[in-house]
Amino acid sequence: MGNQKLYKGSLQTIILKLLANTDKMYGYEITQKVKELTQGELNITEGALYPALHKLEADGLLEVEVAKIGNRMRKYYKLTEQGTKETVGKLAEMQEFLRTMERLVSPKLSLD
Amino acid sequence: MNKKRQVTEEEVTELYLFTRKHFVEHYDVQSELVDHLANDIEQIWLEHPQLPFDKARDLSFKKFGVFGFMDVVEKKQKAMHKKYWKILWRFVKEWFTLPKIISTALIFMLYFSLFQVPYSIHILFGAFVVWALYDLIRFAQNRRKNKVKKQAEKRWLLQDMIGETRGGFSFLTFVNFFNIINLLKIDFGTLPFYWLALFATLGTLLTIVFYVSAVVLPQKATQLLEETYPEYKMQ
Repeated sequence: MGNQKLYKGSLQTIILKLLANTDKMYGYEITQKVKELTQGELNITEGALYPALHKLEADGLLEVEVAKIGNRMRKYYKLTEQGTKETVGKLAEMQEFLRTMERLVSPKLSLD
Repeated sequence: MNKKRQVTEEEVTELYLFTRKHFVEHYDVQSELVDHLANDIEQIWLEHPQLPFDKARDLSFKKFGVFGFMDVVEKKQKAMHKKYWKILWRFVKEWFTLPKIISTALIFMLYFSLFQVPYSIHILFGAFVVWALYDLIRFAQNRRKNKVKKQAEKRWLLQDMIGETRGGFSFLTFVNFFNIINLLKIDFGTLPFYWLALFATLGTLLTIVFYVSAVVLPQKATQLLEETYPEYKMQ
């Protein structure tokens, strides 16, 4: 388990990216998918996931769909058009961030 | 081979009660948490199929941390607040399209001419205080009525914002605005044209925002709830 704090600021980008790859997902599914993709390295806590989802929804980046399963209501999230556009920008930002960190953390000491 | 143990309908009902007991008052927030807990409990049962429901539920609840559902509820309120203001703004903007722009212009003219009458601000202020009192009484009555309904019915966060809190914009905001003008001791009779126009514009805007939050949105509540919550129609 890595330092969860380091991932914290990237939660929204992670959610958007996951939703860009699939049609729709529900909260629990997102936590499980992240766990699977990172082989347990990143464990999104419940207390962080839902606030992030609700914020993205209020910002108009996500929309919801509800399915009834027995007497359970399952709330699915999917990207809106605006959300799809925003994802591209956020991912570019993230790549830039990673490159910068890479330069800072392990600078290449070459002569060229 | 063992069949995957599922959360039963009775247990789902119990989970709804559990969230309510932990200060989640609104059905929309409850539903999502119930589904989450149910999924997690089923996941726990994959490894410990014999674990009693209560134990599995508590294990799952622990993952929410020491504050339980508080964080989720608080942030949800914030997000919904934002949504409420977006909706409010949508309807306020309508006032600047035909034919409503005529009423807008009339409100503006009313303020503009009133400001030029001596002691107009006192007249306005007095009128608003009376109106505010009436509004507060009605508000308190509604609240009492809702309290009776509270236990039995499903409550929706947005519904409460439309009806009870109006996203925090009460008539008092309005009165405060005029109170500030009053305290500044501005003599409207001596103000140049553009200042009068500015105050009249502010007054007009506040009147419209107030009207939309107190009258228009409550009238459209059902439509707005259906728009916001796909599950609202499923009841």
